[in-house]
Amino acid sequence: MKPVSASPLSPSVKVKLLNAGFLTSEELLQLKPLQLSKEGGLSLEEALEVQQILREGVDLPGEGGAGLGSTALELLQQEERSIVTFCSSLDAALGGGVPVGKTTELCGTPGMGKTQLCLQLCIDVQIPECFGGLGGEAVFVDTEGSLVVQRVADMAQAAVQHCCLQDQDAEQRDALKDFTTESLLGHLYLMRCHDYVELLAQVQLLPDFLVKNPKVRLLVIDSLAFPFRRHFEDLSVRTRLLSGLAQQLIRMASQHRVAVVWTNQMTSQLRGGQWELVPALGESWGHSATQRLLLHWSGGRRLASVFKSPSQSESSVAYSVTREGFRDAGPLASSPSGREQDSSSQSESKQDSSSQSGSKRPRTQEGQ
Amino acid sequence: MSIEQLELNPRIIKAVNNANIGVARDILKYSGPDLQRLTRLSASDVHHLQTAVAALFCKKTPVSALQLYRGECPEWDCGLRVSLGCPVLDGVLRGGLLPWGLTELAGPSGAGKSQLAMQLCLSVQYPVQYGGLGSGALYICTEDSFPIRRLKQLQNEQPSLRSDVPPDVVSSICFSDNIYVEHAADLGALMACVSQRVPVLLAQGRVRLLVVDSVAALFRSEFQADQGLERSRHLTAFATALHKLSASYQLPILCVNQVTDVMEGDSNHDAGLRPVDSKVVPALGMAWANQVMVRLMVTRLPGAVSMGTQSSARRRLEVVFAPHLARDSCLFGVWREGTRGLPSPPTQDTSS
Repeated sequence: MKPVSASPLSPSVKVKLLNAGFLTSEELLQLKPLQLSKEGGLSLEEALEVQQILREGVDLPGEGGAGLGSTALELLQQEERSIVTFCSSLDAALGGGVPVGKTTELCGTPGMGKTQLCLQLCIDVQIPECFGGLGGEAVFVDTEGSLVVQRVADMAQAAVQHCCLQDQDAEQRDALKDFTTESLLGHLYLMRCHDYVELLAQVQLLPDFLVKNPKVRLLVIDSLAFPFRRHFEDLSVRTRLLSGLAQQLIRMASQHRVAVVWTNQMTSQLRGGQWELVPALGESWGHSATQRLLLHWSGGRRLASVFKSPSQSESSVAYSVTREGFRDAGPLASSPSGREQDSSSQSESKQDSSSQSGSKRPRTQEGQ
Repeated sequence: MSIEQLELNPRIIKAVNNANIGVARDILKYSGPDLQRLTRLSASDVHHLQTAVAALFCKKTPVSALQLYRGECPEWDCGLRVSLGCPVLDGVLRGGLLPWGLTELAGPSGAGKSQLAMQLCLSVQYPVQYGGLGSGALYICTEDSFPIRRLKQLQNEQPSLRSDVPPDVVSSICFSDNIYVEHAADLGALMACVSQRVPVLLAQGRVRLLVVDSVAALFRSEFQADQGLERSRHLTAFATALHKLSASYQLPILCVNQVTDVMEGDSNHDAGLRPVDSKVVPALGMAWANQVMVRLMVTRLPGAVSMGTQSSARRRLEVVFAPHLARDSCLFGVWREGTRGLPSPPTQDTSS
């Protein structure tokens, strides 16, 4: 709450503003330039200069702020939590879940469940703290139109039921009162981008959004590859745009303490005479994410492999996608954890053909 | 959109014009330090510039999923589905086709893809409460000529297929008037159709469904085996054009596709792109699969099914991948009145 008289403006301008009745710099910043020039008796140019000078007191990205950097011990003590995925084996492979403050990439062919995992994370980030979650909010940037809100609602409902089964004390029961399907949907912010220019613009505006909504702990971009896999006359332009984008996302992750997750596609590349599937967007893009997960089929099961991580070893775990969302794999890989409640509710919905024979029985499901 | 129209200090606008950057959208392609270097402005000025330009391209404020769920954002998700005309088939799709994005229908010849496509062109014309969108369809043929006689037969039999719709509603719709048919003999004609003629019809509000039958035909015939990269590029350009149409007009697009055999060696390469036990995979590879949002496959099975006095080969409709659907399937037959799914348990005769 800085008073106008103490702000670094020129004296003549200060006198005009004080005569007009402005007391604090916040009041000056809240108005649009035209309004300020009218009410303060300034010219438009002067009003813009005033606002700009006052804003320079605020931290700008890349300007370094006031911090001198911290020691490794301080960083270690700042435990950043992780967002669980509801697939306990994947959480274990990731060292607790998707880390806040870092960037994670999900690669895989279409239909593997990348969007499903992203939606599951959007729900799991909102789990109240007394249940071991972060009690945060989520932002979902949709570039390919793969968000169908009915699916999100189904997953939200399943998460609420899962937590309801687990409440043990008064504090948890209290937290559950606000943990409903509506509240889960209400704290998930959606943005739609139709091409890479809109995506770049959206990412440019995101830091301001994160400042206005400080409870956001997860940013998802699904998918990041889609708008960039258009025909670029000059691939070096694409590489430059992508590296700029990566910088902005990494900075957002650490400055605003959010987990940034994006999905990537797979492309075929000729390596040594054989066609191999590799993540899209090029070799240099591979360095952008702190952690990379590959979702793929192997022997009739869905596997998630951690193939780049600074802290976890490379490993593969089985998972499944059910009506409830992203979960542990079915009976083939039983894990003795609290997630078994999910397996029992899974037995009714045999919806993942992780078994060798697909479901051939005709089935009528309830309509919309 | 020119730079003068931004709400910025005239000093910044002058510096940007002097730097000869071009139109406003080019500013987004430069990083902060690059812009500082080009325009000789301070870091905070550049930040204001970038924010102002970004605000031009992101006019929509973020919505919450709850608003979308409650139907408060019809331009994003109107909450409707395009029915396939049969409750069993709709059940596999949880209501019907999504009213946006690319839905692919792949299968071997004779499986019933064109039948389903034609049935969709009829069912989209019903009013919203009967699972349609109250508008017509555009059918682009790239293979054979359009099966007009079969369409006429389907049209006459609509009252018997759609017994859920009151007869006066059915008879009030002039089905063939609302189906526009285009033939595209080569890739150039196809791109011209999609980029020029389709937007005209969409702008007039006459069409709310686009069917391309089939995608594979032209791409497989015009490119040799070693022109994979070239083919990918054209395929991506075509898919981009379709996506742009779908986004601008909230248009569902059904692309019919052929299939190729699965090679023994790369069983894991494309494992996710087809049903688990399938010997065939939709054509056009990973480049096309990455563009498609919902992939459905139809196959012909041995045996026949009967319904009343009619008999049909047994077929299966299966969801391979979709962001909102389980990997479900149902059996169906192609009858005189159209394509109808078989509720469980199906009546089968085991004659092969």
